[in-house]
Amino acid sequence: MKILIADDDALSRRLLEKTLERAGYEVTAVENGKQALEQLAKLEGPRLALLDWVMPELDGPEVCRAVRKRSERTYVYMVLLTSKGTKEETVLGLESGADDYLTKPFNAEELRARLRVGERILLLEDRLVEARENMRFRATHDPLTSLLNRGAIMDLLARELHRSHREKKSTTILLGDVDHFKRVNDTYGHVVGDEVLIEIANRLIGSVRSYDFVGRYGGEEFLVVLNSCDPAFALGRAEELRKSVSNHAIQTAKGSLSLTMSLGALLSSDWGPRPVEELLHEVDTALYKAKASGRDCLRMAQPITRTEPETAPLLQPARLRR
Amino acid sequence: MEGLGEEKLNMEVTMKKNEDSHSGPVWNLAELLERVDNDQELLRDLLNIFKEDFPLTMRSLESAVAAEDLENAARLGHTLKGMLSSLGGMRTAAAAARLEVIASAGETASLKGALDALKCEAASLLPELEAYMAEVRH
Repeated sequence: MKILIADDDALSRRLLEKTLERAGYEVTAVENGKQALEQLAKLEGPRLALLDWVMPELDGPEVCRAVRKRSERTYVYMVLLTSKGTKEETVLGLESGADDYLTKPFNAEELRARLRVGERILLLEDRLVEARENMRFRATHDPLTSLLNRGAIMDLLARELHRSHREKKSTTILLGDVDHFKRVNDTYGHVVGDEVLIEIANRLIGSVRSYDFVGRYGGEEFLVVLNSCDPAFALGRAEELRKSVSNHAIQTAKGSLSLTMSLGALLSSDWGPRPVEELLHEVDTALYKAKASGRDCLRMAQPITRTEPETAPLLQPARLRR
Repeated sequence: MEGLGEEKLNMEVTMKKNEDSHSGPVWNLAELLERVDNDQELLRDLLNIFKEDFPLTMRSLESAVAAEDLENAARLGHTLKGMLSSLGGMRTAAAAARLEVIASAGETASLKGALDALKCEAASLLPELEAYMAEVRH
């Protein structure tokens, strides 16, 4: 485990360094509070720290206070080393954010024991963070496909729509539905149906950029959000997603199955600021039109303007009509 | 405020009493050996660091005392106290601690005396360290 020693006295630093290396720690030793803070600010920096109270630049309690201000970072267990021994100073040290203190000159056995306490606390913190992350993942992801669940992708979509409107960019919303999926379930059973959904989820995720969102919207419906997507490329990218399903058969326990997907698409720049639900309703209508047009195809949702007759072709993106 | 001042003064007096340990060995080698887990190489390292840092810090302290620079005198007294106590030179460490307390309390008049006392303790300690280093070198 990594540990930081901050002490301006070279003798004390060397003694601590050797004692801790012998105890199996990976030691970084610095000679003032500013350097200590720099080390503790590193992403993979030490999470255990032994800080001398009196140091140049920043003293031990000041380092503790600065570290504790960064609440978003992982916990650092800090022990103040002090030759000060009054109760008032002990209280001041602990209230600055230190977890423990040790009086100099230290006893090696006591030092190691106190650091083991620190390790236990950090282990406990790791377990809590892991449990919290697992819960957060479960609350926001679909258990079958591991894609974002409906609630999570709706939240992200709403946020993304706000952002793209503010930045005058366009977000592309795609709603895909696996064609004749019910037949897969009816013919091969739900286990195979699940295999198909997992494989399609993987293909969709593999076809978008790392900052786009893919979620499971319903049974065999997938919602894809292409963030800051240039409208000129939106159709092409939506087509790629459609083909990612139809181009290669899906291998299942009951053999290989050729499947297709119909898609409804919408460019937020065509619609201006509208509630998410309203936009999703429009995409759903476009998807319905794709199904009605023979499936395995894409249809765009376009706003009807006063200058256009109601029979304007719905299949072309807005920019072509201008 | 007055009460707090009195409390601080009492605390300092108590510290002085505690640190006023003229008894005991000049250098507690047994304690130091325990601290370094009997690692002779580390012990030599520490003595070498001390041999290099102690005279430099003492010189800075002498200058600070001569200039009646209380802040630096207190800081350097603190550094020496830490260095000496890590090395097991408890009597000299106590003399450094006394100087730190005196400088922190702003007792300029007592500063020179505290420095002399520190030098006097150091004069007993340094030959013991030298002798040990000469012994382990052979």
